[in-house]
Amino acid sequence: MMQTLTLNVNGRDCKVSAEPDSMLLYALRDGLGLRGPKFGCGLAQCGACTVVLGTNAIRSCVTPVSAVGSGHITTLEGLGTLERPGPLQQAFIDAQAVQCGYCIGGMIMSAHALLTRKPDPTRDEIKRALNGNLCRCGTHMRIVRAIVRAAKMGSGS
Amino acid sequence: MSELDTRERLEFTRRGFLKASGGLVISFSLLGTAEALIAAADETGPFAAPPAGQLYAWLAVHPDNRATLFTGKVDTGTGTQTALAQIAAEELDFPVERLDVVMGTTTETVDQGPSYGSLAIRMAGPQIRHAAAAGRAVLLDLAAKHFKVPAARLIAREGIIEVSGVSDRRITYGELVDGRRLNFAIGATGEQFDMKVAPRARTKDPHSYTVVGRSVPRKDIPAKVTGAFTYVQDLRVPGMLHGRVVRPYGIGAHLREVDESGLSSIPGFVRTVRRDDFLGVVAETEWAAIQAAAQLGSTLQPSGPDAARAKWSAWNGLPEMDQIWETVRQSSGRDIVVAKHGAVDAALVHAARQLRATYRTPYQMHGSIGPSCAVADVKADRAILWSGTQMPHETRRDIAKVLGMPLEHLELRWYEASGGYGRNGLDHVVADAAIMSQIIGRPVRVQWMRWDEHGWEPKGPPIVQDLSGGLDARGRVVAWRHHVWVPTLGDTHLIAAALTGNPAACGETGLGDPSITYAYTFPNADVMGHCEGRVGLLTAWLRSPGQFETTFAMESFIDELAAAARQDPLAFRTSHVKDPRALAVLRAAADRYGWRSRPAGAGQATLQGQVARGRGIAWVNRDGARVATIADISVDPKRAAIRVERVVVAHDCGLVVNPDGLRNQVEGNVIQSLSRTLHEEVTFDRAHVTSLDWARYPILRFAEIPDSIEIVMVNNSSEYPSLGAGEPSTCPTAAVIGNAVFDAIGVRLRQTPFRPKRLHAAML
Repeated sequence: MMQTLTLNVNGRDCKVSAEPDSMLLYALRDGLGLRGPKFGCGLAQCGACTVVLGTNAIRSCVTPVSAVGSGHITTLEGLGTLERPGPLQQAFIDAQAVQCGYCIGGMIMSAHALLTRKPDPTRDEIKRALNGNLCRCGTHMRIVRAIVRAAKMGSGS
Repeated sequence: MSELDTRERLEFTRRGFLKASGGLVISFSLLGTAEALIAAADETGPFAAPPAGQLYAWLAVHPDNRATLFTGKVDTGTGTQTALAQIAAEELDFPVERLDVVMGTTTETVDQGPSYGSLAIRMAGPQIRHAAAAGRAVLLDLAAKHFKVPAARLIAREGIIEVSGVSDRRITYGELVDGRRLNFAIGATGEQFDMKVAPRARTKDPHSYTVVGRSVPRKDIPAKVTGAFTYVQDLRVPGMLHGRVVRPYGIGAHLREVDESGLSSIPGFVRTVRRDDFLGVVAETEWAAIQAAAQLGSTLQPSGPDAARAKWSAWNGLPEMDQIWETVRQSSGRDIVVAKHGAVDAALVHAARQLRATYRTPYQMHGSIGPSCAVADVKADRAILWSGTQMPHETRRDIAKVLGMPLEHLELRWYEASGGYGRNGLDHVVADAAIMSQIIGRPVRVQWMRWDEHGWEPKGPPIVQDLSGGLDARGRVVAWRHHVWVPTLGDTHLIAAALTGNPAACGETGLGDPSITYAYTFPNADVMGHCEGRVGLLTAWLRSPGQFETTFAMESFIDELAAAARQDPLAFRTSHVKDPRALAVLRAAADRYGWRSRPAGAGQATLQGQVARGRGIAWVNRDGARVATIADISVDPKRAAIRVERVVVAHDCGLVVNPDGLRNQVEGNVIQSLSRTLHEEVTFDRAHVTSLDWARYPILRFAEIPDSIEIVMVNNSSEYPSLGAGEPSTCPTAAVIGNAVFDAIGVRLRQTPFRPKRLHAAML
């Protein structure tokens, strides 16, 4: 049964029509037209779909939309815009930490959750926090560099 | 929802021009022959690429003094968009940040050949350079008429032309062109890679470059990190349905029946789509399409040809996995000689020391993070395809054949996809979408599921190589034999064509290629490829096709000979190489690394349980680009785990257009090839691929990345024309790591991937 649900996304309440047991990813992409979260595997194995729920990075491809409740969802779009990128996004631009970029939204959201929890992480802590996010282009060195840069600027969010 | 897109302004360019210009024909000519305005293509066709001999096929200048470069090349995540813009901006004397780039779309760009083989900068670069140089000459000519002065008195700089010495007599390119299309004949001959554009245009002296050679920030990155970028996976078109494919249980199985009961209770489900063995579903929502496909058998763990609602015939036609290299060895094909001189057999017999070894490498996959996706809108008399293919113009021709439609009825609109690294599923999914749309008469978006991608994307083939070598009493190589058995690296048949009973609609099987640049100077040599067609799974080019594998064997076996001769592996190589550019990268890598001469394996830790360290070196000449790589690794014998600590790459691809872009590419090549070296092997049973997700086909993770990757650019200067950099630095990695493992623990690894189980077995 399709239902009309209210999701709090990037600080706004949004109505979306979805089956309760369908996954959050499809509500965000197809219902709300967001592009930050990506379909990568549907199996919580790659992290391309990562969004932040409350303060935790979650895999939206395996999170039923009904499980979100009134929790606050932040997607890549919630961190800044093309005209005004957020500090973490700017750090990725400054480090040129993108190749194809399909994974990068998930990387940034995992990093965002890490920096919220721990504003000054070590290189090893960054690698641990992102270990569940896969990048096929091999941009890892730059992604770590971008997050170190963001942390140094004190720009966790 | 329409194609809302940050590129909307760009989409305006050509179509906007054609509409805005109406019947206006401005017909100046650079070469003296005026050509009439080509009939405007629109939404209904007929569709054709712009004529390569016209300036407007390459460039547009807009009233706000922005400009657009049109290129048939596409960016697969490697930064070619920005690099090609730099080349154009340099010749045009135009600010690169105001130069937008339209790529791939078949009605807006010239076919410059597929974006493979690290050829974009090398082959398309000169074409664009000449077109832009012709554009600059045209603009100067227009300005000369405008100011009524000779062109020689004009200075073009940053998109503005002024009369020398008269600073208030200046005009922007945008004002000069005044919204008109650049309808100037510049001339073009030949096709695709061999095309010569604007042959009479005078290009700049490379010594004067100011934009080429600069680390210009990539144009695509700000949109990609803010969710504003439109990947093909993000496209939505009006009236579109979501589609999913349901592939056969066994790769060659036939569809016996489809039990559709229950599907109609899925909210949003529309219908199944079937043509012979091709099966798909379409639905109003993506979730509904996924649910319906799952009921028909599209799942991570398919349990049998009859287990789901789509029933397939039994098919078990794949070779046994553990026999795959014997199968490859016994397959028929054609022998291609790479090098044959002297008398190898006699030299081996008389050698003081003779070595033999066999190297094996498995099927590997491209493994895009975003599964392949396309949108198609096929009507009776026209078809629009939205695709991220690396070869838009070819794919358009292929899909025309699959659909049985005249070519001029098709347009392919190119949008970037998740990184591809070769011929992956992107060309296949566009056929899936096109067939579904043709059958149901509505636009269809198809994205493969993860298991479709892992299971059905074309793979890099398994390769087996026999090597033998002889050393004389002084430890010099007197004989060298390297034979490679290699299945096709370019089977371009389409899966959907085969499933719809039309396997020969397009494409060819092709033969493997020896994929070896033999660059040593051994007195007796026999280097040969036994080149075959398809063996087992569908195979096509995967980053550095074949040469990642042959470099592994060649550079590991050289190391075996060096160790047998008790010589330093760097000195052993340089004493058998004459090519100065090869020697230059080897020395540059060694200098940066701080190489000290000693034989491999000397004085290293024994297998007493403690962590052992080793260093490895290897190099390659791939299509002229020379790369030498050195790495430090450690081996923990208890866990049989290899950790890569430091990587040094010396890279000679001639003049580098964008140094930071090159570093990004080299880092990516190193990490991806480390992943292929340490982890990657496609598994399969007699029916199908069984490594259908990232758990069963693991790739390198953050925990395993090196501490540093250092890059030295060699011969980065204007005397050396730019070569490709998208692939070469992949090639040495497996040999480097294998050689370092030998240095660390004295164990020689001759089969990838170097997973703990294999390393452990080798250590026993």
